[in-house]
Amino acid sequence: MHGRLFDSNPRANLTMATVPPIAGLDEHGATASRSHHFTLALAGNPNAGKTTLFNALTGLRAKTSNFPGTTIERKVGRVRLSDRQIIVVDLPGLYSLESTSPEEQIAAQALSGRLTEHGKADAVVLVVDATNLERNLFLVSQVLELQIPTVVALNMIDLAQRHGLKIDPARLRLELGCPVVPISARHGTGIDLLQREIERLAAPCSSPLDFLPPMPACAGCSGCQFQTRYAWTEGISSRCVTRSHETRGSRTEKIDEILTRPIIGVAAFFAVMFGVFFLIFQCARIPMDLIDGFFAHVAGFAARHLPEGLWSSLVVNGIIHGVGGILVFLPQICIMFFFLSLMEDTGYFARAAFVMDRLMRRIGLPGKAFVPLLSAHACALPAIMSTRVIEDRRDRIVTILVAPLMSCSARIPVYTMLIALLFPHSPIKAALMFTGAYAVGVTTALVMAWVFKRTILPGQSKPLVLELPPYRLPGLRNALLQMFDRASVFIRTAGTTILCISVALWFLASFPRVAPPSAAVALNAESTSLAQQGKAKEATAKRNEAETVAARDQLDRSLAGRLGHTLEPVLKPLGFDWQIGIGVITSFAAREVIVSTLGVVYGVGSNAAEEHPESLYDTLRQARRADGSAVFNTANCFSLLIFYVLAAQCLPTQAVTRRETGTWKWPLFQIAYMTGLAYMAAFLVFQVLRHFGFA
Amino acid sequence: MTTALPITEPFVRLGELQPKVCAVVRRIETEDDSMERLKALGICIGRQVELVKRGDPLIVRVYGSRLGISARLANRVLVEPCTGGCSTPTPAQT
Repeated sequence: MHGRLFDSNPRANLTMATVPPIAGLDEHGATASRSHHFTLALAGNPNAGKTTLFNALTGLRAKTSNFPGTTIERKVGRVRLSDRQIIVVDLPGLYSLESTSPEEQIAAQALSGRLTEHGKADAVVLVVDATNLERNLFLVSQVLELQIPTVVALNMIDLAQRHGLKIDPARLRLELGCPVVPISARHGTGIDLLQREIERLAAPCSSPLDFLPPMPACAGCSGCQFQTRYAWTEGISSRCVTRSHETRGSRTEKIDEILTRPIIGVAAFFAVMFGVFFLIFQCARIPMDLIDGFFAHVAGFAARHLPEGLWSSLVVNGIIHGVGGILVFLPQICIMFFFLSLMEDTGYFARAAFVMDRLMRRIGLPGKAFVPLLSAHACALPAIMSTRVIEDRRDRIVTILVAPLMSCSARIPVYTMLIALLFPHSPIKAALMFTGAYAVGVTTALVMAWVFKRTILPGQSKPLVLELPPYRLPGLRNALLQMFDRASVFIRTAGTTILCISVALWFLASFPRVAPPSAAVALNAESTSLAQQGKAKEATAKRNEAETVAARDQLDRSLAGRLGHTLEPVLKPLGFDWQIGIGVITSFAAREVIVSTLGVVYGVGSNAAEEHPESLYDTLRQARRADGSAVFNTANCFSLLIFYVLAAQCLPTQAVTRRETGTWKWPLFQIAYMTGLAYMAAFLVFQVLRHFGFA
Repeated sequence: MTTALPITEPFVRLGELQPKVCAVVRRIETEDDSMERLKALGICIGRQVELVKRGDPLIVRVYGSRLGISARLANRVLVEPCTGGCSTPTPAQT
């Protein structure tokens, strides 16, 4: 692949840009064109169909990354056009080059060459919504002034025709002074023509300033720029567009008449979200169990085939467990983003944000924050990743900070265990308890959001300005690509951190190594003698018992165990002993780990605890302290429950928060405030209940 | 939020416009980032707008697009209702 060699010298880019259009395609010019990668930026208004065009141009070869030094994403793809390698960059959607929103500013900077990484874009494809030409031409007027070679892709031309808008592309080309290609990115029409125009891009087009009327002399009047440009766009539109029968948006208006009503709209939104949730819970279960089962098999296989010892333990309990721990999140992330993409594509997402806006304003967050907060009930990870829809950075950080307070699905096994301990024979009380735990999570999240908006991240949230695009049928291809994209972003950025956490926790639980205790040795000896007598079943039972005893002893004397002992004075006021302390520490990998940890600590064995929870519950109920009192009583079960509702025991969440906020400050703060809250709440609950004699 | 300046001209606040009546933007009371955004979206002096749905937030049509806007922002925009009665929101047929 000799075409891979390219000149990184920016000067070369400039020379390229002035090569006559067709020269790059013929035999002689081919060498020159191979000398560097041509960078093409895709820009346009939000909802103009930029991403659909990007997908149509690059397909699966795209990669999502952040703009250097920011948390704003861009998609970069490659496309090969007649022997020339072209890098296509999908910029965030923007309405104006002078916008103040960070995403739009980045897009504007990328266009005007103020972002250095790729140098100035060699050319721009401006995606314009043909059904809304006057508005879209506003941005065109600004971009043309940048003097970058530009092609205007007149997208959704099929829709415009259906709505009785006849646009004359030749006339528009003349008016704008740059190539105009009518396309339908959704149906793939006109893409070949667009590609040919991209190949030809080289000479800068003539400046539209020639066409703009001279700016009125009124310094300091910021309205003029808009007035002048819009007068220009209206003029062009009147000369290029003929309207036969104006029908655009009539169907949309009928649907919106219902979906944007304050009460019906909110109810409809809850119904939609309930459906999505139900699917996340139901559908994700199956692949999650499969992933769990698969990794259990791999772990079993590795345990059998690796020589017993430290390495085997690291591979099985550290690495395989860690990789499984990353992949187990994928089904939820995939389903969530698949549906979010559908909701966005249809245009429904904008309506949801619209109807929720008024309610969310009361706690100081925009309507768009609602979807992440609701979906955090399935899992905080995809929820935090989906906060990108919130434009204001402070609003976004507040949403990220409080999202993990919502009771996610990983808390369910913990709630189940504790509620089984509290109310073993009363399904009604158990159900009430479950509801109560969820309610505490939601209430605390909303209150904390309100508090953060008034203290550490003050500032009135920006008033709603939101385009309500026409309803459209969603594209399955876009949804699937979005799903794969989110999954790969998650694995690439959070995966490593999660794996490290898993290995670190394995280390804490496995070091220092201790010799098997005498009880285990004795049990093993019994097992051997039983095996010799041909009683295979009893022998296996004894060996398992020996393993359980050894594991318990190892955990007890490990770093995690010592930490549990060290923390006991701190945890005592919450009613936790050192065994529960170990459970709390190991839950930092994932909350549900406390169930298997308690299984090990109380000698049931971790597998038995997961497969036959009743046996664990019985053991826990019967567990006694040295003085004969029950280890688990009403007071400390309640306090442990409230602790698990509020505590930040999921380091993967912090890994994702780090990625989305771009700094370690926020994930650390998140851990600190949530743990602080959990500690205080559990302390209060335990002390009050003990005071009234429930301990 | 809005400073209640006396309105001398026959202008009304965008949020108080009758639905389905088109109007021309005449004055913008206070400038800030949000207002800049509104202008970039087409709500700027001299342009025709139409209130589609009252309330908070409300829906405004400008050119071919529909915008959801907070009432407190919309009320900083003063408009003059069209008397001639214009059927389409795009005054481009000149």
